[in-house]
Amino acid sequence: MTEETLPTKPTFAQGLAASLPIVMGYLPIAFSFGVAATRAGFSATEAFALSLIIYAGASQFLALALLSSGAPVLVAAFTLIAMNLRHVLYGPALMREAGDRASTRHAWAWAWGLTDEVFGQALGALARGQRFSEAWMFGLGLGAYAAWVLGTVAGAVAGGSALEGWPALSAGLGFMLPALFLALLLSILSRRQLPVIAVAGLVTVAGTLAISATSGILLGMLAGAAAGLVRR
Amino acid sequence: MNWDLLTVAVLAGAANWAFRALPVITRSDRMAAGGWLERFLSATGPAAIATLFVAAILPALTPDVRALAPVIVGTLAVLGLYAARRSVVLAMLAGAVAHGLATWALG
Repeated sequence: MTEETLPTKPTFAQGLAASLPIVMGYLPIAFSFGVAATRAGFSATEAFALSLIIYAGASQFLALALLSSGAPVLVAAFTLIAMNLRHVLYGPALMREAGDRASTRHAWAWAWGLTDEVFGQALGALARGQRFSEAWMFGLGLGAYAAWVLGTVAGAVAGGSALEGWPALSAGLGFMLPALFLALLLSILSRRQLPVIAVAGLVTVAGTLAISATSGILLGMLAGAAAGLVRR
Repeated sequence: MNWDLLTVAVLAGAANWAFRALPVITRSDRMAAGGWLERFLSATGPAAIATLFVAAILPALTPDVRALAPVIVGTLAVLGLYAARRSVVLAMLAGAVAHGLATWALG
């Protein structure tokens, strides 16, 4: 494709709009995190600090368990770091799709927001033919980050009983992220990627059942990516 | 403010930033151009999304049909809406609404 025929670069506002499904997925989970943090004896400020500084869902829940059980600081920190090691793969995979000429001048800021869901949404957009732009990435990441931090604060302030009277609403909100991942999977599905997807799914199940959920995720991603090495 | 909590948060947060940003800043994907690493990276995206879906749905799978029904209804709603409209947002919303309604209907 020549430069003239390329679609225009998506803007910050379009990135922000694209973050909407992630925002809807993050708010209930961040809210649950805020509630869990106050139940574990942490203040609203401390819950806010964890979401603002760590910004990684599952490992924040683990942080609550480790810190409230009195685990040594370095053990807790390295456990959380190991849990998020998979994020190392996201940047290169995204930039490969973005192309060789994609700018990374402001990556120090927007790449902080490269969570599982932001990565999935960005990759899906590029796979559907959208051009890469740092402004769009920043909008996408900022919407998701704001939802995560604000949801945490709302949950910590509301306290433990906020959703207890609404089990159906709570269940529906809890299904947002599985539904988002399934929809993203459908959006990038192609016959060429089927073996990769099948291997990743099967190894995730096996790793989760045999070792732990965190190991299942890391092993599933590595096995799926390794399946991509097989020439067809 | 609990200083242990702040120390853990800063160490884990700094590592998260490094994991997410450094490979982009250094354009580590360019080093992979044309070789096996390029094929590995191009498969990483679909593998990651498949893994995250399986990891998210796995805790909801149970032999208890009553508890499983909302998950099945929600999943079918995502598949149906995506097939009909090709929209990630609508498919996700339909899945969440269907899951919530099924939970409510089953009491």
